Amino acid sequence: MPVRVAWGIQHPMSGHLTLYLDVDGDYVINTEPDVGYTHRGLEKTAEYRHFIQFVPIIERACNFDASNFALGYARAVEALMGVEVPERAKYLRVIAAELSRIMSHLYAQALLSMTGGFETMTVWSANDRELILDLLEMLTGARVTHTYIVPGGVRADLPEGFKGRSEEVLSYLERRIWDYYKMLFQNKTFQDRTMGVGVLSREEAIELGVTGPNLRASGVDFDTRRDDPYAAYDKLDFNVVVFKEGDSYTRALVRFYEIAESIKIIRQALKDLPEGPVKCKVPPALPKGEVYTRVETGRGELGIYLVGAGGNRPYRLKISAPSFRNLMGLIHLCRDVPMGDIPVIYYSFDILLLDVDR
Amino acid sequence: MELGRLIEEARAKLGSDLLEAGGVKPLLLRVKPERVVEAASLLKQRGFNHPLSVTGVDYPERKEIEVIYHVSRLEDKAVVALKVALSRDKPSLPSLRGVWPGVHLHERETWEMLGVRFEGHPELKRFLLQDDWEEGVYPLRRDYKLKPEV
Repeated sequence: MPVRVAWGIQHPMSGHLTLYLDVDGDYVINTEPDVGYTHRGLEKTAEYRHFIQFVPIIERACNFDASNFALGYARAVEALMGVEVPERAKYLRVIAAELSRIMSHLYAQALLSMTGGFETMTVWSANDRELILDLLEMLTGARVTHTYIVPGGVRADLPEGFKGRSEEVLSYLERRIWDYYKMLFQNKTFQDRTMGVGVLSREEAIELGVTGPNLRASGVDFDTRRDDPYAAYDKLDFNVVVFKEGDSYTRALVRFYEIAESIKIIRQALKDLPEGPVKCKVPPALPKGEVYTRVETGRGELGIYLVGAGGNRPYRLKISAPSFRNLMGLIHLCRDVPMGDIPVIYYSFDILLLDVDR
Repeated sequence: MELGRLIEEARAKLGSDLLEAGGVKPLLLRVKPERVVEAASLLKQRGFNHPLSVTGVDYPERKEIEVIYHVSRLEDKAVVALKVALSRDKPSLPSLRGVWPGVHLHERETWEMLGVRFEGHPELKRFLLQDDWEEGVYPLRRDYKLKPEV
Protein backbone atom coordinates (compact mmCIF):
# COMPACT_ATOMS: atom_id res chain seq x y z
CA MET A 1 0.00 0.00 0.00
CA PRO A 2 1.76 3.20 -1.11
CA VAL A 3 2.23 6.09 1.30
CA ARG A 4 2.31 9.67 0.15
CA VAL A 5 5.44 11.53 1.26
CA ALA A 6 6.11 15.21 0.69
CA TRP A 7 9.72 15.66 -0.43
CA GLY A 8 10.19 19.37 0.17
CA ILE A 9 9.47 22.19 0.63
CA GLN A 10 11.70 22.38 3.67
CA HIS A 11 13.74 19.33 2.82
CA PRO A 12 17.47 20.13 2.81
CA MET A 13 17.96 18.69 -0.69
CA SER A 14 14.80 19.87 -2.43
CA GLY A 15 15.40 23.52 -3.19
CA HIS A 16 12.07 25.25 -3.71
CA LEU A 17 10.41 22.18 -5.15
CA THR A 18 7.83 19.97 -3.52
CA LEU A 19 7.53 16.48 -4.93
CA TYR A 20 4.70 14.36 -3.62
CA LEU A 21 6.06 10.84 -3.78
CA ASP A 22 3.87 7.76 -3.56
CA VAL A 23 6.25 5.43 -1.78
CA ASP A 24 6.02 1.70 -1.27
CA GLY A 25 8.83 0.67 1.06
CA ASP A 26 11.88 2.35 -0.44
CA TYR A 27 10.38 2.52 -3.92
CA VAL A 28 8.78 5.56 -5.51
CA ILE A 29 5.78 4.48 -7.55
CA ASN A 30 4.47 7.83 -8.70
CA THR A 31 5.50 11.47 -8.43
CA GLU A 32 3.51 14.64 -8.51
CA PRO A 33 5.31 17.98 -8.47
CA ASP A 34 3.95 20.97 -6.63
CA VAL A 35 5.66 24.11 -7.84
CA GLY A 36 4.80 27.76 -7.36
CA TYR A 37 6.57 28.45 -4.09
CA THR A 38 8.57 31.25 -5.70
CA HIS A 39 5.92 32.37 -8.19
CA ARG A 40 6.24 36.13 -8.62
CA GLY A 41 4.07 36.77 -11.63
CA LEU A 42 6.83 38.12 -13.88
CA GLU A 43 4.68 37.81 -17.00
CA LYS A 44 2.00 40.01 -15.48
CA THR A 45 4.60 42.44 -14.15
CA ALA A 46 5.91 42.88 -17.70
CA GLU A 47 2.56 44.35 -18.75
CA TYR A 48 3.04 47.09 -16.16
CA ARG A 49 6.63 48.07 -16.93
CA HIS A 50 8.43 50.05 -19.59
CA PHE A 51 10.26 47.49 -21.71
CA ILE A 52 13.63 48.80 -20.47
CA GLN A 53 12.51 48.57 -16.85
CA PHE A 54 11.82 44.90 -17.36
CA VAL A 55 15.46 43.96 -18.04
CA PRO A 56 16.49 43.68 -14.37
CA ILE A 57 13.22 41.90 -13.62
CA ILE A 58 13.65 39.15 -16.18
CA GLU A 59 17.08 38.41 -14.73
CA ARG A 60 15.28 37.45 -11.54
CA ALA A 61 13.58 34.69 -13.48
CA CYS A 62 16.87 32.85 -13.20
CA ASN A 63 19.38 34.40 -10.82
CA PHE A 64 22.05 31.85 -11.55
CA ASP A 65 22.13 32.54 -15.27
CA ALA A 66 21.12 36.18 -15.41
CA SER A 67 22.89 37.40 -18.55
CA ASN A 68 21.52 34.63 -20.74
CA PHE A 69 17.97 35.52 -19.70
CA ALA A 70 18.59 39.20 -20.36
CA LEU A 71 19.98 38.23 -23.76
CA GLY A 72 16.85 36.23 -24.55
CA TYR A 73 14.67 39.19 -23.70
CA ALA A 74 16.85 41.63 -25.62
CA ARG A 75 16.72 39.38 -28.66
CA ALA A 76 12.92 39.34 -28.60
CA VAL A 77 12.61 43.11 -28.18
CA GLU A 78 15.11 43.77 -30.96
CA ALA A 79 13.41 41.30 -33.28
CA LEU A 80 10.08 43.03 -32.72
CA MET A 81 11.60 46.45 -33.37
CA GLY A 82 13.79 45.34 -36.24
CA VAL A 83 16.91 46.73 -34.55
CA GLU A 84 20.36 45.39 -35.41
CA VAL A 85 22.89 45.94 -32.60
CA PRO A 86 26.51 47.01 -33.30
CA GLU A 87 29.06 44.26 -33.95
CA ARG A 88 31.11 45.00 -30.84
CA ALA A 89 28.02 44.68 -28.66
CA LYS A 90 27.32 41.24 -30.15
CA TYR A 91 30.73 39.99 -29.10
CA LEU A 92 30.47 41.53 -25.63
CA ARG A 93 27.09 39.83 -25.26
CA VAL A 94 28.69 36.50 -26.07
CA ILE A 95 31.35 37.08 -23.41
CA ALA A 96 28.79 37.93 -20.72
CA ALA A 97 26.51 35.07 -21.74
CA GLU A 98 29.26 32.47 -21.73
CA LEU A 99 30.61 33.61 -18.36
CA SER A 100 27.07 33.33 -17.10
CA ARG A 101 26.81 29.82 -18.54
CA ILE A 102 30.02 28.71 -16.80
CA MET A 103 28.66 30.16 -13.58
CA SER A 104 25.43 28.19 -13.98
CA HIS A 105 27.17 24.93 -14.90
CA LEU A 106 29.58 25.15 -11.96
CA TYR A 107 26.66 25.67 -9.64
CA ALA A 108 24.86 22.65 -11.08
CA GLN A 109 27.99 20.57 -10.63
CA ALA A 110 28.35 21.74 -7.04
CA LEU A 111 24.80 20.72 -6.16
CA LEU A 112 24.93 17.37 -7.93
CA SER A 113 28.16 16.39 -6.19
CA MET A 114 26.61 17.39 -2.86
CA THR A 115 23.80 14.86 -3.30
CA GLY A 116 26.32 12.05 -3.56
CA GLY A 117 28.37 13.25 -0.61
CA PHE A 118 31.25 14.57 -2.72
CA GLU A 119 31.57 17.76 -0.73
CA THR A 120 35.13 18.42 -1.89
CA MET A 121 33.82 18.86 -5.40
CA THR A 122 31.03 21.11 -4.12
CA VAL A 123 33.54 23.42 -2.50
CA TRP A 124 35.88 23.38 -5.49
CA SER A 125 33.10 24.29 -7.91
CA ALA A 126 31.71 26.97 -5.65
CA ASN A 127 35.18 28.38 -5.13
CA ASP A 128 36.01 28.55 -8.83
CA ARG A 129 32.62 30.04 -9.51
CA GLU A 130 33.77 32.98 -7.39
CA LEU A 131 36.50 33.73 -9.94
CA ILE A 132 33.88 33.88 -12.69
CA LEU A 133 31.69 36.10 -10.52
CA ASP A 134 34.64 38.45 -10.01
CA LEU A 135 35.21 38.59 -13.75
CA LEU A 136 31.54 39.37 -14.29
CA GLU A 137 31.73 42.04 -11.62
CA MET A 138 34.65 43.60 -13.44
CA LEU A 139 32.75 43.53 -16.74
CA THR A 140 29.29 44.50 -15.57
CA GLY A 141 29.57 45.96 -12.08
CA ALA A 142 27.47 43.26 -10.45
CA ARG A 143 28.20 39.72 -9.40
CA VAL A 144 24.99 37.78 -9.91
CA THR A 145 22.33 39.86 -11.62
CA HIS A 146 24.23 41.97 -14.09
CA THR A 147 21.70 43.96 -16.15
CA TYR A 148 24.50 44.26 -18.68
CA ILE A 149 22.70 43.18 -21.82
CA VAL A 150 19.94 45.64 -22.65
CA PRO A 151 17.84 46.14 -25.79
CA GLY A 152 20.12 47.98 -28.21
CA GLY A 153 23.44 46.53 -27.09
CA VAL A 154 25.30 46.33 -23.82
CA ARG A 155 25.49 48.89 -21.05
CA ALA A 156 29.24 49.53 -21.00
CA ASP A 157 32.41 48.80 -22.91
CA LEU A 158 35.13 46.40 -21.82
CA PRO A 159 36.92 47.74 -18.71
CA GLU A 160 40.66 48.29 -18.65
CA GLY A 161 42.63 45.19 -17.80
CA PHE A 162 39.74 42.81 -18.47
CA LYS A 163 41.51 40.92 -21.25
CA GLY A 164 44.52 40.18 -19.06
CA ARG A 165 42.53 39.16 -16.01
CA SER A 166 40.14 36.99 -17.99
CA GLU A 167 43.04 35.18 -19.65
CA GLU A 168 44.46 34.43 -16.19
CA VAL A 169 41.14 33.08 -14.94
CA LEU A 170 40.35 31.12 -18.10
CA SER A 171 43.74 29.44 -18.29
CA TYR A 172 43.44 28.55 -14.60
CA LEU A 173 39.96 27.14 -15.15
CA GLU A 174 41.07 25.27 -18.25
CA ARG A 175 43.64 23.37 -16.18
CA ARG A 176 41.37 23.16 -13.17
CA ILE A 177 38.45 21.38 -14.85
CA TRP A 178 40.66 18.34 -15.42
CA ASP A 179 40.99 18.16 -11.64
CA TYR A 180 37.20 17.98 -11.56
CA TYR A 181 37.34 15.23 -14.09
CA LYS A 182 39.72 13.16 -11.98
CA MET A 183 37.99 14.00 -8.73
CA LEU A 184 34.39 13.50 -9.81
CA PHE A 185 33.91 11.90 -13.18
CA GLN A 186 36.60 9.23 -12.78
CA ASN A 187 35.54 8.53 -9.21
CA LYS A 188 34.16 4.99 -9.00
CA THR A 189 31.67 5.91 -6.26
CA PHE A 190 30.28 8.81 -8.27
CA GLN A 191 30.05 6.63 -11.36
CA ASP A 192 28.15 3.96 -9.45
CA ARG A 193 25.85 6.59 -8.02
CA THR A 194 24.96 8.22 -11.34
CA MET A 195 25.62 5.84 -14.24
CA GLY A 196 22.44 4.18 -15.43
CA VAL A 197 20.38 6.24 -12.98
CA GLY A 198 17.48 8.14 -14.52
CA VAL A 199 17.93 7.11 -18.15
CA LEU A 200 15.95 9.28 -20.54
CA SER A 201 15.80 7.89 -24.07
CA ARG A 202 16.14 10.07 -27.15
CA GLU A 203 12.47 9.64 -28.12
CA GLU A 204 11.22 10.45 -24.64
CA ALA A 205 13.44 13.52 -24.39
CA ILE A 206 12.11 14.89 -27.68
CA GLU A 207 8.49 14.04 -27.01
CA LEU A 208 8.48 15.57 -23.51
CA GLY A 209 10.06 18.78 -24.76
CA VAL A 210 13.19 18.40 -22.62
CA THR A 211 15.82 20.97 -23.54
CA GLY A 212 19.43 22.09 -23.20
CA PRO A 213 22.21 19.88 -21.81
CA ASN A 214 19.59 17.30 -20.76
CA LEU A 215 18.42 16.95 -24.36
CA ARG A 216 21.98 16.73 -25.66
CA ALA A 217 22.82 14.05 -23.06
CA SER A 218 20.08 11.93 -24.63
CA GLY A 219 21.66 12.03 -28.05
CA VAL A 220 19.93 14.95 -29.72
CA ASP A 221 22.33 17.19 -31.58
CA PHE A 222 20.62 20.51 -31.07
CA ASP A 223 21.95 23.77 -29.67
CA THR A 224 20.18 27.07 -30.31
CA ARG A 225 23.53 28.87 -30.39
CA ARG A 226 24.47 26.94 -33.52
CA ASP A 227 21.08 26.14 -35.04
CA ASP A 228 19.29 29.46 -34.61
CA PRO A 229 22.29 31.76 -34.17
CA TYR A 230 22.09 35.08 -32.39
CA ALA A 231 24.63 37.63 -31.11
CA ALA A 232 28.00 36.65 -32.62
CA TYR A 233 27.65 32.87 -32.32
CA ASP A 234 27.51 32.36 -36.08
CA LYS A 235 31.05 33.78 -36.37
CA LEU A 236 32.55 31.73 -33.56
CA ASP A 237 33.82 28.19 -33.74
CA PHE A 238 32.66 25.76 -31.06
CA ASN A 239 31.46 22.20 -30.70
CA VAL A 240 28.05 21.07 -29.54
CA VAL A 241 28.56 18.44 -26.87
CA VAL A 242 26.34 15.40 -27.47
CA PHE A 243 26.24 12.05 -25.69
CA LYS A 244 23.79 9.24 -26.22
CA GLU A 245 23.49 7.46 -22.86
CA GLY A 246 20.95 9.86 -21.32
CA ASP A 247 21.68 9.01 -17.69
CA SER A 248 22.53 11.29 -14.77
CA TYR A 249 26.26 10.85 -15.34
CA THR A 250 26.10 11.99 -18.96
CA ARG A 251 23.94 14.98 -18.09
CA ALA A 252 26.67 16.12 -15.72
CA LEU A 253 29.34 15.28 -18.29
CA VAL A 254 27.68 17.42 -20.98
CA ARG A 255 27.85 20.39 -18.63
CA PHE A 256 31.46 19.63 -17.84
CA TYR A 257 32.50 19.69 -21.50
CA GLU A 258 30.38 22.75 -22.13
CA ILE A 259 32.49 24.63 -19.60
CA ALA A 260 35.53 23.83 -21.77
CA GLU A 261 33.64 24.97 -24.89
CA SER A 262 32.60 28.20 -23.18
CA ILE A 263 36.22 28.96 -22.32
CA LYS A 264 37.07 28.48 -25.99
CA ILE A 265 34.24 30.79 -27.07
CA ILE A 266 35.20 33.59 -24.66
CA ARG A 267 38.83 33.45 -25.83
CA GLN A 268 37.78 33.72 -29.47
CA ALA A 269 35.34 36.53 -28.76
CA LEU A 270 38.01 38.52 -26.93
CA LYS A 271 40.48 37.93 -29.75
CA ASP A 272 38.10 38.85 -32.59
CA LEU A 273 36.44 41.73 -30.72
CA PRO A 274 35.75 44.42 -33.36
CA GLU A 275 36.03 48.14 -32.69
CA GLY A 276 33.03 50.41 -32.63
CA PRO A 277 30.10 51.51 -30.49
CA VAL A 278 28.59 49.12 -27.95
CA LYS A 279 24.99 50.25 -28.16
CA CYS A 280 22.56 51.84 -30.52
CA LYS A 281 19.36 53.81 -30.15
CA VAL A 282 16.16 51.83 -29.87
CA PRO A 283 12.70 53.23 -30.64
CA PRO A 284 10.82 54.48 -27.58
CA ALA A 285 7.89 52.14 -28.07
CA LEU A 286 7.25 48.52 -28.99
CA PRO A 287 5.63 48.37 -32.43
CA LYS A 288 2.46 46.37 -33.08
CA GLY A 289 3.24 42.76 -33.76
CA GLU A 290 4.47 39.57 -32.22
CA VAL A 291 7.68 37.56 -32.19
CA TYR A 292 8.87 34.26 -30.83
CA THR A 293 12.62 34.08 -30.31
CA ARG A 294 14.83 31.67 -28.45
CA VAL A 295 18.30 31.59 -26.97
CA GLU A 296 20.33 28.86 -25.34
CA THR A 297 20.76 29.50 -21.62
CA GLY A 298 22.79 27.33 -19.26
CA ARG A 299 19.71 25.29 -18.41
CA GLY A 300 18.36 25.00 -21.94
CA GLU A 301 16.40 26.91 -24.47
CA LEU A 302 14.58 30.03 -23.35
CA GLY A 303 11.70 31.06 -25.60
CA ILE A 304 10.23 34.54 -25.40
CA TYR A 305 6.89 35.26 -27.01
CA LEU A 306 6.43 39.01 -27.10
CA VAL A 307 3.35 40.89 -28.27
CA GLY A 308 3.64 44.63 -28.78
CA ALA A 309 0.69 46.97 -29.12
CA GLY A 310 2.31 50.30 -29.92
CA GLY A 311 2.89 51.47 -26.35
CA ASN A 312 6.11 51.28 -24.41
CA ARG A 313 4.90 48.32 -22.38
CA PRO A 314 4.63 44.76 -23.69
CA TYR A 315 1.02 43.76 -24.35
CA ARG A 316 1.92 40.19 -23.43
CA LEU A 317 5.19 38.55 -22.61
CA LYS A 318 5.45 34.81 -22.29
CA ILE A 319 8.59 33.35 -20.78
CA SER A 320 8.92 29.75 -21.89
CA ALA A 321 11.53 28.80 -19.35
CA PRO A 322 13.96 25.91 -19.80
CA SER A 323 13.47 24.41 -16.34
CA PHE A 324 9.71 24.38 -16.83
CA ARG A 325 10.22 22.18 -19.87
CA ASN A 326 12.78 20.00 -18.12
CA LEU A 327 10.31 19.41 -15.30
CA MET A 328 8.36 17.13 -17.66
CA GLY A 329 11.42 14.91 -17.97
CA LEU A 330 11.93 14.90 -14.22
CA ILE A 331 8.36 13.76 -13.50
CA HIS A 332 8.69 11.09 -16.13
CA LEU A 333 11.87 9.70 -14.56
CA CYS A 334 10.83 9.89 -10.90
CA ARG A 335 8.66 6.80 -11.28
CA ASP A 336 9.62 3.28 -10.30
CA VAL A 337 12.95 4.31 -8.82
CA PRO A 338 14.42 3.90 -5.32
CA MET A 339 13.84 6.88 -3.06
CA GLY A 340 17.57 7.57 -2.83
CA ASP A 341 17.82 8.23 -6.58
CA ILE A 342 15.38 11.13 -6.48
CA PRO A 343 17.95 13.80 -5.43
CA VAL A 344 20.47 12.50 -7.97
CA ILE A 345 17.96 12.66 -10.82
CA TYR A 346 16.68 16.03 -9.67
CA TYR A 347 20.10 17.67 -9.52
CA SER A 348 21.33 16.01 -12.69
CA PHE A 349 18.47 17.82 -14.44
CA ASP A 350 19.67 21.17 -13.07
CA ILE A 351 16.13 22.43 -12.50
CA LEU A 352 15.94 25.82 -10.88
CA LEU A 353 12.55 26.49 -9.37
CA LEU A 354 12.95 30.24 -9.85
CA ASP A 355 12.57 29.83 -13.57
CA VAL A 356 9.89 27.15 -13.36
CA ASP A 357 7.71 29.51 -11.35
CA ARG A 358 8.69 32.86 -12.86
CA MET B 1 10.34 18.99 -46.09
CA GLU B 2 9.77 22.45 -47.45
CA LEU B 3 7.53 24.64 -45.32
CA GLY B 4 5.67 25.75 -48.45
CA ARG B 5 4.63 22.19 -49.17
CA LEU B 6 3.49 21.83 -45.57
CA ILE B 7 1.15 24.80 -45.99
CA GLU B 8 -0.28 23.26 -49.18
CA GLU B 9 -0.83 19.99 -47.39
CA ALA B 10 -2.54 21.71 -44.47
CA ARG B 11 -4.75 23.61 -46.90
CA ALA B 12 -5.70 20.40 -48.68
CA LYS B 13 -6.61 18.74 -45.40
CA LEU B 14 -8.34 21.59 -43.59
CA GLY B 15 -9.75 23.59 -46.51
CA SER B 16 -11.29 26.87 -45.44
CA ASP B 17 -10.77 26.00 -41.75
CA LEU B 18 -7.15 26.96 -42.21
CA LEU B 19 -7.62 30.65 -41.60
CA GLU B 20 -4.08 31.92 -41.97
CA ALA B 21 -0.75 30.51 -43.08
CA GLY B 22 2.60 32.11 -43.65
CA GLY B 23 5.83 33.36 -42.15
CA VAL B 24 9.06 31.49 -41.74
CA LYS B 25 10.41 31.95 -38.21
CA PRO B 26 8.07 30.69 -36.94
CA LEU B 27 5.71 29.36 -39.58
CA LEU B 28 2.24 30.50 -38.51
CA LEU B 29 -0.85 28.35 -39.00
CA ARG B 30 -4.17 29.62 -37.68
CA VAL B 31 -7.00 27.10 -37.64
CA LYS B 32 -10.54 26.84 -36.33
CA PRO B 33 -10.61 25.44 -32.77
CA GLU B 34 -12.61 22.35 -33.74
CA ARG B 35 -9.95 21.31 -36.28
CA VAL B 36 -6.94 21.84 -34.03
CA VAL B 37 -6.35 18.14 -33.29
CA GLU B 38 -6.27 17.33 -37.01
CA ALA B 39 -3.85 20.16 -37.68
CA ALA B 40 -1.61 19.06 -34.80
CA SER B 41 -1.64 15.45 -35.99
CA LEU B 42 -0.62 16.55 -39.48
CA LEU B 43 2.26 18.57 -38.02
CA LYS B 44 3.37 15.66 -35.90
CA GLN B 45 3.34 13.33 -38.92
CA ARG B 46 5.56 15.82 -40.70
CA GLY B 47 8.16 15.70 -37.94
CA PHE B 48 7.09 18.47 -35.59
CA ASN B 49 7.41 16.50 -32.37
CA HIS B 50 9.36 18.72 -29.97
CA PRO B 51 6.94 21.01 -28.08
CA LEU B 52 8.39 24.36 -26.99
CA SER B 53 5.63 26.34 -25.35
CA VAL B 54 1.93 27.06 -25.07
CA THR B 55 0.89 30.68 -24.73
CA GLY B 56 -2.45 32.33 -24.15
CA VAL B 57 -3.07 35.96 -25.07
CA ASP B 58 -6.19 37.84 -24.02
CA TYR B 59 -7.79 40.34 -26.43
CA PRO B 60 -10.82 41.85 -24.62
CA GLU B 61 -11.73 44.27 -27.48
CA ARG B 62 -12.01 41.37 -29.91
CA LYS B 63 -13.66 39.24 -27.17
CA GLU B 64 -11.11 36.54 -27.93
CA ILE B 65 -8.40 34.56 -26.25
CA GLU B 66 -5.70 33.27 -28.54
CA VAL B 67 -3.83 30.09 -27.71
CA ILE B 68 -0.54 29.49 -29.50
CA TYR B 69 1.39 26.22 -29.57
CA HIS B 70 5.04 26.52 -30.54
CA VAL B 71 6.46 23.23 -31.75
CA SER B 72 9.80 22.55 -33.37
CA ARG B 73 11.21 19.99 -35.76
CA LEU B 74 14.72 18.96 -34.83
CA GLU B 75 15.77 17.76 -38.31
CA ASP B 76 15.75 21.19 -39.92
CA LYS B 77 15.26 23.28 -36.73
CA ALA B 78 12.01 24.75 -38.07
CA VAL B 79 9.45 26.14 -35.62
CA VAL B 80 5.72 26.22 -36.22
CA ALA B 81 3.18 28.32 -34.32
CA LEU B 82 -0.25 26.73 -34.29
CA LYS B 83 -2.77 29.35 -33.33
CA VAL B 84 -6.45 29.21 -32.41
CA ALA B 85 -8.77 32.04 -31.41
CA LEU B 86 -11.40 31.16 -28.78
CA SER B 87 -14.43 33.02 -27.57
CA ARG B 88 -13.58 34.91 -24.41
CA ASP B 89 -16.80 34.00 -22.60
CA LYS B 90 -16.24 30.27 -22.68
CA PRO B 91 -12.75 29.54 -23.97
CA SER B 92 -12.26 25.86 -24.57
CA LEU B 93 -10.47 23.64 -27.06
CA PRO B 94 -9.51 19.98 -27.23
CA SER B 95 -6.32 19.16 -25.38
CA LEU B 96 -3.34 18.38 -27.59
CA ARG B 97 -1.75 16.28 -24.90
CA GLY B 98 -2.57 13.17 -26.89
CA VAL B 99 -0.55 14.47 -29.84
CA TRP B 100 2.31 16.11 -27.94
CA PRO B 101 2.66 14.68 -24.39
CA GLY B 102 5.13 17.46 -23.54
CA VAL B 103 2.43 20.15 -23.50
CA HIS B 104 0.89 18.66 -20.34
CA LEU B 105 2.20 21.26 -17.89
CA HIS B 106 2.01 24.11 -20.41
CA GLU B 107 -1.71 23.52 -20.91
CA ARG B 108 -2.22 23.35 -17.16
CA GLU B 109 -0.49 26.69 -16.76
CA THR B 110 -2.58 28.27 -19.52
CA TRP B 111 -5.76 26.99 -17.89
CA GLU B 112 -4.70 28.37 -14.54
CA MET B 113 -3.57 31.76 -15.76
CA LEU B 114 -6.16 32.47 -18.48
CA GLY B 115 -9.04 30.11 -17.79
CA VAL B 116 -8.82 28.24 -21.08
CA ARG B 117 -10.41 24.79 -20.73
CA PHE B 118 -8.52 22.01 -22.44
CA GLU B 119 -11.12 19.30 -23.01
CA GLY B 120 -9.77 15.86 -22.28
CA HIS B 121 -6.83 17.04 -20.18
CA PRO B 122 -6.67 14.64 -17.22
CA GLU B 123 -5.16 16.96 -14.66
CA LEU B 124 -6.52 20.49 -14.89
CA LYS B 125 -5.75 21.64 -11.40
CA ARG B 126 -3.97 24.48 -9.77
CA PHE B 127 -0.22 24.36 -9.55
CA LEU B 128 1.48 27.76 -9.76
CA LEU B 129 -0.97 29.99 -7.92
CA GLN B 130 -1.44 29.81 -4.20
CA ASP B 131 -4.07 27.44 -2.83
CA ASP B 132 -6.44 30.14 -1.55
CA TRP B 133 -6.53 32.01 -4.88
CA GLU B 134 -10.12 32.95 -5.75
CA GLU B 135 -11.95 30.60 -8.14
CA GLY B 136 -12.60 32.05 -11.56
CA VAL B 137 -10.04 34.85 -11.32
CA TYR B 138 -7.41 34.53 -14.02
CA PRO B 139 -4.39 36.76 -13.46
CA LEU B 140 -3.08 36.90 -17.01
CA ARG B 141 -6.34 38.18 -18.47
CA ARG B 142 -6.18 41.86 -19.32
CA ASP B 143 -9.05 42.81 -17.00
CA TYR B 144 -7.15 41.56 -13.95
CA LYS B 145 -5.41 44.71 -12.71
CA LEU B 146 -2.45 44.81 -10.38
CA LYS B 147 -2.90 46.93 -7.29
CA PRO B 148 -0.59 49.94 -6.97
CA GLU B 149 2.55 49.15 -5.02
CA VAL B 150 2.23 52.04 -2.56
